[in-house]
Amino acid sequence: MNDYSYTEEKGLTMADRIEGVKKLFTSKSARVETNKGDAYYEKLFQTCQARIEELKTQTPINNRLDISDVLETQGVNRRDFMKWASAVTGMLMLPASFTPLVADAALLMNRAPVIWLELSDCAGNSEALLRSDGPKIDEIVLDIISLEFHETLQAASGHQAEKQLEDAMETFKDKYLLFVEGAVPLGMDGQFGTIGASGETFHEHLLRVSKHAAAVVAVGSCATFGGIPAAAPNPTGAVGVMDVVKGKPLINIPACPANPANMVGVILHYILTGQVPELDSLLRPKFAFGYRIHDNCERRAHFDAGEYVEEWGDEGAKNNFCLYKMGCKGPMTFNNCSIVRYNEGVNWPIGVGRGCIGCSEPDFWDKYAYERPMADAKIKAPTGGVEKTVDEFGLGLLTAAGIGIGIHAVASAVAGKKEDGGEA
Amino acid sequence: MITKEIIDHIEGEASLYFEMQEKRVDFVTVVFPHFRGMENMLKGKSALDALVITPRVCGICGHAHLMATVRAIEDAYKNSGHPIEVSNKAQNMRELTLTLEIIQNHLKWLYLVLIPQLNNFENITLSLTPLKGAYGASLATKALAILAGQWPHSSYMIPGGVTSDPTYIELMQLRAHLEKLSDFLEKETLGTTVQNFLSFESCKNFNKIASDVSSVEQALFDLRMHKKGFSHDDFIVLGEHRFTQIAKSRATRLYNVDITKVHVEDAFSPQEKSYAKNALYKNAFYETGPLARLISKDVKLIKNMHRRYKDSNYTRAMARIYEMVYLLQHSLDLVKEIDITQDSCTKSVTLSKVTAQGIGVVEAPRGPLIHKIKLKEGIIERYEIITPTQWNISSGTKLKPSPAQKAMIGLNKQEAEFVFRTFDVCSVCTTH
Repeated sequence: MNDYSYTEEKGLTMADRIEGVKKLFTSKSARVETNKGDAYYEKLFQTCQARIEELKTQTPINNRLDISDVLETQGVNRRDFMKWASAVTGMLMLPASFTPLVADAALLMNRAPVIWLELSDCAGNSEALLRSDGPKIDEIVLDIISLEFHETLQAASGHQAEKQLEDAMETFKDKYLLFVEGAVPLGMDGQFGTIGASGETFHEHLLRVSKHAAAVVAVGSCATFGGIPAAAPNPTGAVGVMDVVKGKPLINIPACPANPANMVGVILHYILTGQVPELDSLLRPKFAFGYRIHDNCERRAHFDAGEYVEEWGDEGAKNNFCLYKMGCKGPMTFNNCSIVRYNEGVNWPIGVGRGCIGCSEPDFWDKYAYERPMADAKIKAPTGGVEKTVDEFGLGLLTAAGIGIGIHAVASAVAGKKEDGGEA
Repeated sequence: MITKEIIDHIEGEASLYFEMQEKRVDFVTVVFPHFRGMENMLKGKSALDALVITPRVCGICGHAHLMATVRAIEDAYKNSGHPIEVSNKAQNMRELTLTLEIIQNHLKWLYLVLIPQLNNFENITLSLTPLKGAYGASLATKALAILAGQWPHSSYMIPGGVTSDPTYIELMQLRAHLEKLSDFLEKETLGTTVQNFLSFESCKNFNKIASDVSSVEQALFDLRMHKKGFSHDDFIVLGEHRFTQIAKSRATRLYNVDITKVHVEDAFSPQEKSYAKNALYKNAFYETGPLARLISKDVKLIKNMHRRYKDSNYTRAMARIYEMVYLLQHSLDLVKEIDITQDSCTKSVTLSKVTAQGIGVVEAPRGPLIHKIKLKEGIIERYEIITPTQWNISSGTKLKPSPAQKAMIGLNKQEAEFVFRTFDVCSVCTTH
């Protein structure tokens, strides 16, 4: 009903509707360039190969275990490992010929120093990193990577921990990857979050530790866009890392929690190429956030057929129909969870009949709250047409698509009524 | 002299201010310095938004927050004259996923907190195998994700039931994960079968097994933890579940409770601003969590331990380990009871017709978690969260110390910090 009044209000004709839907599904909006031509990949291959050779000559950091030994003791054979490597190669949008290089890069994970900071958050991404989910080999790889300093996971505490951080920052100056979990509360001069004996604010702490990082990776929606702590009225003045850290290569891995597969992807990419992966306008790696949930959704066929869940517990819900009318934000959310899923690929929210809440998009906590269909959500109009490429969408997102889908949903509802013999 | 110690590795951070006398803790105050303002941000939002926001209070017990929210909303429905009947199937599914979250929590605590902390003591050499805890926990969360979509931060519970509608195949997959977890625990953690472990009635039974659990038990004895860490010996359980019983207890004697007698007050923290509030029942402190729950259920082994060693740190730590196995058995039973022919969700009136207050109480891994909601035409006017760590680790005065404060008094600093961690502190929840 809401959708209907919306289209009425906009004075859209059936021709507009059809045109809108057509535009939506023929546009390049949700596509990522996955084939950049032989010349490009040949050059990249050589770069990666040279880098891997160089890394092989370096010694592992500290007392990190050798990954091939660990894989063996964990009962992972070479064949399983190569299967994993080829899946990761695909995830990183590289040609199959890169598989051996990716495998080598994984074996060299213990050459990459990583420091992990936890700021204003719920520790949920650390829990995810704690191998609560993520494919099995990812778990092992994450265990092996040199987590030089992780405030939640490390055994040391208090003064001892602060000393460890100092040591790691000094030893790996300008070389370490800094992973940050949690938002930065700026309100009340940062007094909503302080750390360590010195009473340093999260803001000061972040600036100090990021100063000599090779790159900064913001993990989870709090660190990327402020997340739940920034929900209106933003009681603590929380912002994301990119709002305060300047002049550093920065990668955002949003979602709540961020998918460990994507964390591993970023680290692997860094080891492989020495660079940050290709990013969209929100600094998200395209290999993970170049997909729209909607485009790979297992319930997509029901959307196309105009079959929707209209109410929790109805026949549509029992038959796994499309959740758009229950407020699913899949059509305007970029993330690979419809492919990678969560908890070792076991499931994802749409798999249990719960719409996507758009947790990898800015402001999801205020704008996308789940029970409002998009056409009714207070989302500002897009700044351009639906032809825009994925990285240009940014904050405006697929609101145009939202409208288009609103129309589509109405059209189907009307059609449904006709079939029922009701008055259309 | 007062000295400050930062305690991390506890889902966030806390500071302890120790007053020492002859190297023994004379008094200690607790400060939780982080704050996000969850209750403020819920104001003015639709009640259903809370289902997305509150689980994100905590990365390790978010599922308990989800269930507390859904119970609070359903209570408000009831109080507005529109009661919702939740099917047995949905109730069983909710209880099952909550139980699985507690299991993963306890497993991680055992391998990532307890064993490494024990190892810090001189003369204790346990093998450090954090991956074991993580692997076991991942089996529990995989099983959880089959019903809830993901862990952490699922929102699959809704007023009226749950969104998911599992098939027999999915339930079989779930059982397979749990059986794998059961095998894993038997082989790697317990050194005996789950059945045998649950039949233990005396501490002596641990002497007959050789496993991670028996080594931990021995280490606790070696450190004389059965003579240390005594608290008030008053316990409280407030959440309604089949695996426990609502009651307060003086030692092991049970009394009725009235949820309206719970209240909060500002923490006593003269040295530094703390964002935590103390939680009390009729103006008194109570210990919550596994020990409280198992005492309320009259579990033989735990009662026996309590008889011999009271609410010592030994009893507290062993109760958490025992509960993990106890709940695994409960979850295996629950899977069998899910009747997929029942409805997952029953229909209810539009939320905009609900103007009322509601209260939702669940047992989270660390004890009772209370959510109070006040709705006007479906919009949140007020939201209040009281978390389990607020009970155990309140910061009271010298004359009226909280359970954790009391347990630390008289110990040396290392022992005191260890005792603090055996309450399984969750800082992010406490301040929310």
